Amino acid sequence: MRIAERMLKIDRRIIFLIIGLCTLVPLLYPVGLPIKISPEVRAVYDYIESLPEGSVFLLSLDFDPSSKPELYPQAVALLHHAFRKNLRVVAMTLWVSGTGLADQIISQVARETGKEDTKDYVFLGWSPGGTAVIINMGQNLYTTFPSDYHGRPTKGLPVLEGVNSLRDVDYAVSLGAGNPGVEAWYVFGKDKYKFEMGGGCTGVMAPGLYPLLRSGQINGLIGGLRGAAEYESLIGRKGQAIAGMDAQSATHMAIIVLVMLCNLFYFVLRRQQQAS
Amino acid sequence: MIVLRRQLPLVITLIAGLTMAGQYYVPHPASEELLTSVTKWLQIIGGFALVLGVSSLFHQHAVKIRRREAGWGYSLVLYAGMVGTIVAGLWADGKESLDGVLTAFGWVYNYMMVPLQGTMFAILAFFIASAAYRSFRARSREAAVLLVAAVIVMMGRVPLGEYVLPVSGDISQWILNVLNASVRRAILIGVSLGAVALSLKIIFGVERSYLGGGKE
Repeated sequence: MRIAERMLKIDRRIIFLIIGLCTLVPLLYPVGLPIKISPEVRAVYDYIESLPEGSVFLLSLDFDPSSKPELYPQAVALLHHAFRKNLRVVAMTLWVSGTGLADQIISQVARETGKEDTKDYVFLGWSPGGTAVIINMGQNLYTTFPSDYHGRPTKGLPVLEGVNSLRDVDYAVSLGAGNPGVEAWYVFGKDKYKFEMGGGCTGVMAPGLYPLLRSGQINGLIGGLRGAAEYESLIGRKGQAIAGMDAQSATHMAIIVLVMLCNLFYFVLRRQQQAS
Repeated sequence: MIVLRRQLPLVITLIAGLTMAGQYYVPHPASEELLTSVTKWLQIIGGFALVLGVSSLFHQHAVKIRRREAGWGYSLVLYAGMVGTIVAGLWADGKESLDGVLTAFGWVYNYMMVPLQGTMFAILAFFIASAAYRSFRARSREAAVLLVAAVIVMMGRVPLGEYVLPVSGDISQWILNVLNASVRRAILIGVSLGAVALSLKIIFGVERSYLGGGKE
């Protein structure tokens, strides 16, 4: 067997080992390369920054634990920013399997920033119906969520003072890992109830949401771990995303090198076969 | 009873479809009230769908276990996992923690579901790398264009790539904002037009497959 042929049929466990090392080594020995801020992430940051104190910020954590590595740092960074700006945070999820995770995230950030449940923030939890929940919230928030995640009646909560429906939301961000997610919030929420919204998603979903961004249907987009790292840089708080960027850099470069090598061997083999 | 099985659902679909399509353009309070009620129904139906889904899953795997079909052991694990989680959930009244202390349901969520789902997702990186090495080849001109675009975007999305090739960040932004967005938009328009056409076919009873089979 020729060398090129042998290299093309390399044991995949070797590739697994390379990827494993490329992930592990930078996590143990971080380099900390500078992160360039993209306009779409800055747009979300700037909008939140421009909101006056006490504005209503809706954060829909539409993901489950499988997308935690990418969307958890985004949620933490956004919540830190919102709490720092003294916004009233209304959190919820459209994914039943993400309810526990969403509760943990908001409780943890609130604890770190000294914010009070029901006064500064509320976690509404999950309600069945998917996109119907968005429409229902647009009509009446209290019939959709008569009680919050902890079973307290939502009517009369200080954090929801003056909030009756999605029309009273100043800014909404959906951190979506699929459907229902960012697209559903635009189609069934923003389009009808006229509030400004931004999005956050996994890296693999980001290219699919660029048309919404370019047409102004969403004002900004935080894409994947890179987006989260950019947001962490903007708020000046190093978190899991910045820590993970070196590992992602190394893994991307490893895949690029592997693809280049595979093409090199492919062309060498083809030339050899043509010659013979 | 062909009327109950065929005509009546078609009439209900026609009336409901036309009413709700028209409702969007009528800002009258009565119209808004109708939307509130209908979406509430949808939420309730969504809740029933969840029950239906779970019971269907139970039934499917029960058959597999009873017949000792290939992989029935996995169905047994699924059964144990589902029953265990439901019991833990009911026991804890659906709460993951009480007064800051983790319940059994919270334990299942935090120490089983979160790491298991995370692991499944993380494994993807290894398989993608292996698949890219084996199949991402410039066999044609189109494949070569795709390959070059992919490499630039992959470089432009990480700090190390931008450090090695500083222009990759800007080119990657351009690829995503111009090439990708326009193609994706074209697909979206096509899909949306298809959805509108299909909706009209369902409303007017041309498309009837949702009624299911069965004897007339």
